[in-house]
Amino acid sequence: MAEKPASEYRGSIHQQQKDLMLDWYQRLDHAAGTGDPPTVSMMISGNCVELLEGFGAIPLYPEVNALQLAIRHQSLEPILAAEEMGYAGDNCAYVKADIGCMLKGITPTGGRLPKPTLVLCNFVGCNTYVKWFEHVAAFTGAPLFVLDVPFLRGDQPSQADIDYVVRQLKEVVAQLEKLTGRKFDYDRFRQSVAYSSEVEDLWSQIKHLAKNSPSPFDAYFDAITLMGPLYVYRGKREGVEFFRAALNELKQKVRAGEGVYDQERFRVVVEGPPPYPYFRTFRDMFASWKAVAVASTYSTVGGLWEFGFRHDPSCPFESVAMHMLAQNVTNRNYLQRYDQIRRYVQEWKADGVIIHFVKSCRLFSAGQGDMRDYFTKQLGVPTLYIESDLEDPRYFAEAQTKNRIDAFFESLEHAKRTAGHAVGV
Amino acid sequence: MKEFERTFDSLYEGMQDLSFAGVRNWKEQHPGAKAVAFFPVYAPMELVHAAGMLPALLSGAGDRLDIQHADSRFGSFICSIIKTTMEMAMTGHLEPFDGLLFSSICDSARNLCFVVKRNYPQIYVDFLHLPHSTSESSVDFLAAEYRRIITELERLGGTPVQDAALRRSIELYNEQRRLVRCLYELRAKSPHLLRAWESYVLVRSGNLMPVEEHIQILRQALEYLPTRPGKKRDAIRVVIEGSFCEQPPLELIRLLENAGCDIVEDDLAIAQRWFTEDVPLAGDPVRALAESYVQRSVYSSVRHDFSKPRWEGLAEKVLGTRAEAVIFLIAKFCEPAYFDFVLFKKKVDEMGLPHLLLEFEEKLFTFDRLRTEVETFVESLVFD
Amino acid sequence: MRIAAGVDVGSTQTKAVLVGANGDGVKVLSRSLMDTGANVRKAAERAFDECCQAAGISQSDVGFVVGTGYGRYNISFGHTQMTEISCHARGAHFLCPGTRTVIDMGGQDAKAIGVGPSGEVLDFVMNDKCAAGTGRFLANAAEVMGLGLDDIGPLSLRATRPVKIATVCTVFVESDILSYLSQGKKPEDIMEGVHLAIAKRTLSLARRVNIEPLVTMTGGVARNIGMVRALETVLGQKIIVTADAQFMGAVGAALFSLEKLGESFESTVWRDHAVSSRD
Repeated sequence: MAEKPASEYRGSIHQQQKDLMLDWYQRLDHAAGTGDPPTVSMMISGNCVELLEGFGAIPLYPEVNALQLAIRHQSLEPILAAEEMGYAGDNCAYVKADIGCMLKGITPTGGRLPKPTLVLCNFVGCNTYVKWFEHVAAFTGAPLFVLDVPFLRGDQPSQADIDYVVRQLKEVVAQLEKLTGRKFDYDRFRQSVAYSSEVEDLWSQIKHLAKNSPSPFDAYFDAITLMGPLYVYRGKREGVEFFRAALNELKQKVRAGEGVYDQERFRVVVEGPPPYPYFRTFRDMFASWKAVAVASTYSTVGGLWEFGFRHDPSCPFESVAMHMLAQNVTNRNYLQRYDQIRRYVQEWKADGVIIHFVKSCRLFSAGQGDMRDYFTKQLGVPTLYIESDLEDPRYFAEAQTKNRIDAFFESLEHAKRTAGHAVGV
Repeated sequence: MKEFERTFDSLYEGMQDLSFAGVRNWKEQHPGAKAVAFFPVYAPMELVHAAGMLPALLSGAGDRLDIQHADSRFGSFICSIIKTTMEMAMTGHLEPFDGLLFSSICDSARNLCFVVKRNYPQIYVDFLHLPHSTSESSVDFLAAEYRRIITELERLGGTPVQDAALRRSIELYNEQRRLVRCLYELRAKSPHLLRAWESYVLVRSGNLMPVEEHIQILRQALEYLPTRPGKKRDAIRVVIEGSFCEQPPLELIRLLENAGCDIVEDDLAIAQRWFTEDVPLAGDPVRALAESYVQRSVYSSVRHDFSKPRWEGLAEKVLGTRAEAVIFLIAKFCEPAYFDFVLFKKKVDEMGLPHLLLEFEEKLFTFDRLRTEVETFVESLVFD
Repeated sequence: MRIAAGVDVGSTQTKAVLVGANGDGVKVLSRSLMDTGANVRKAAERAFDECCQAAGISQSDVGFVVGTGYGRYNISFGHTQMTEISCHARGAHFLCPGTRTVIDMGGQDAKAIGVGPSGEVLDFVMNDKCAAGTGRFLANAAEVMGLGLDDIGPLSLRATRPVKIATVCTVFVESDILSYLSQGKKPEDIMEGVHLAIAKRTLSLARRVNIEPLVTMTGGVARNIGMVRALETVLGQKIIVTADAQFMGAVGAALFSLEKLGESFESTVWRDHAVSSRD
């Protein structure tokens, strides 16, 4: 049965990540005051942060702002402001929080956010982003470029898909040259792609450490902590240093046989974004069962590297295109996501799957009943389906959610006991 | 010609018929031939037609199907047309179709494509990426995408698609689109000769019948309607915006008209009015179709052209039809329509036009609440 | 005899059950039921107290108490907590042997539970964020009609031409009902329409688990015969409802308590004594 939430592992990487993200916010604040460095609004999913390095520009991720607000319990006010101006109750709350902040001049850290040099809608799979970035451009007056990334209809992108994205990336370069007055530094771009491939290799090794039992980190909750540096610093030396340190710290834990809690009772795979407004509460619901996520789809929004893909400095444009087209969970088709989760369950040896339906995000959530059907009925994998939202605190029902999570682990516990496994009370 | 009056009812029956009797009949008459259906909004019917198949465009299930299975696959906060389409698949209603095509209109429809693909591996299910950009590279991409679909259709039908056949198909669909444009012009000019619900039925029924037949019906209609006895009435000229995918119950369109609105423009079942001009017949027909989509589409909440904002498109529509008000008719949980409403509303406010937002689901049995809202809106305009 | 208790603190009602085990098997000794009200802690205490009085024993005779339901963490005298999902499965397995699916409709939840051969939860699915399919939804509909909650079931059985209700939204259904009333539709036809709409919506969600016979219905809404019939119509199979439907969670919790006392029993033992639990 459920116990009092156990306290989980906090390492030096948690502090380092905080410092890195704070540094990023400070640079954004500087850009807001001086216009330097140039900034580009981008979507985290399948971001092409390497391209920005060619201009010495830094990314501005509206989702990071939105989730920071939610974690700090500040998302409702901007959401309501956006609803007042006409956004629907059933619109994505990330968008509403972001637009609401813009209207009210709220930022997650209190520092300033710049008007972006370019609003680059690297739309990968998320149709809502096209609207979101269009609205950001309309409200800020910043120029907009929509990079149309064809959705992955088959297993792999076609040559026509790759050519199309490469051509558009070059159009973005031309536009940024005009907007920044800087010449695109191809060598710096290629160097950034090289850093990315190093970071990706380190990150992938980290992901694979979760195959150990106990897993040294939670591949949902802790992975989210690591995602910030992954998206902001991937194409930089600082990124390589951070992830090298993270890998070493976690490897050491594996050698010492240390897990996330004093004991690892359940291993789960989590699908879907977390309820950021109740991040701590939600985590505690798993902690009280000493249930550890060994893999998650949400941590592959920005890129899917644990199955081998790396950026390639020998063909930087093509590899950036490939990453946007085929190597992030949001632009991959829905059945590829089923397969990704299936591999996690089998190769990372999980006891079950947690599907977290978030009202805001139809990209993630539309059809998750069918996903559940696939796992429970076709594969016989215990699967829990819960609902709330990633940004809007009004959709989190604490008692209901806890009830379902408890019932799920009660039945897993029963199954383990009758199968003769040694499981704690 | 007076007998034409009776066609409205039979066309209405046909477009609501979930057994797809028309499609079944066509297949009986053409042994071995295939039928391929599109999920809304835009559908390049020409590609399927040129492959010797019957193209169809689905529109959900209206109020004729109870959801008894689909909620288990698609949860809360998902619009009705996704669920009714899934329900139709799960209850065998889509059996006459050998192929189902979805496109990049929204996230729910896209995921539906792959859910259908998993559950019905015996049929051809494909996803068409329609560009959200209007650069020259988008034309090249879309032409390649159409060629990919053509290859799949050739595999399904077993016969190659010739350029000449595709050109002939484009010509037919150009004619259909031209006639529909005429119908809308007539309605905007003389709303008393053709009610919006009648024009809607005339157009939408064409989504489920051979284009050749539909052209005949449209021609008869255009011949008859100008002679139709009808009295001009005092009504408010309104544009309806937002029902491009899931369709409102016919009763709701009638309700708007009965409350004193002349619906002079709308985006209901918009596929047949997708292009602002004919698709060129000269040159490579695949490229012509692709170029038309990228460069000469009407504005729509599911297509993005950043050289010209959609709210400007709405403004032009309002001015072109001398409309006095805009009614946003939005399907519950339709995210593209919800988002566009914000910027559309801003524009309409700037233009000083009154507007009303109504939410609907394709399945409604009582209309009192909506009627009250509409009547209040009309009263506020009339007694202003 | 070892005595154990289960207390089910639901959103509207609190139930307590005592079970006893001796060499012959297990039987239900007593039960109690009351409105939960605002003071959850107190309701649990009172229910437990009444239950002990009914069995003629003192609270100290009870070896173990398992709390379940929404208020399970508020039961100060409880030894541990289980979710009502586990408890309903266990209770239904005991009271209605052979149960493979439980459909539970309570005050604010509706759920379907796949039950294994020894009463374990195989899979479960619960209603989504809206109140459709719950007691609250029905209470709301009854109120709009000016009917008592106990009347709507028998009334709807007299329906001849049920109306069509499109929405299962608690707010919008009111305007649907008012529309039909103003059209002069008969109350029984309207209520049957409401029942059918809920049945379709509930089962459409419930199909996420394999709905296999026997299907047992639990929870307060199981007392509504109209709802039971509507579910049977839509499902196309018989649904078992016992007089103890609303005690199912508490019975399950009491059985878990007994297990904690070291009583180990196979389903066959329970089956033999299932009848004794009915008054």
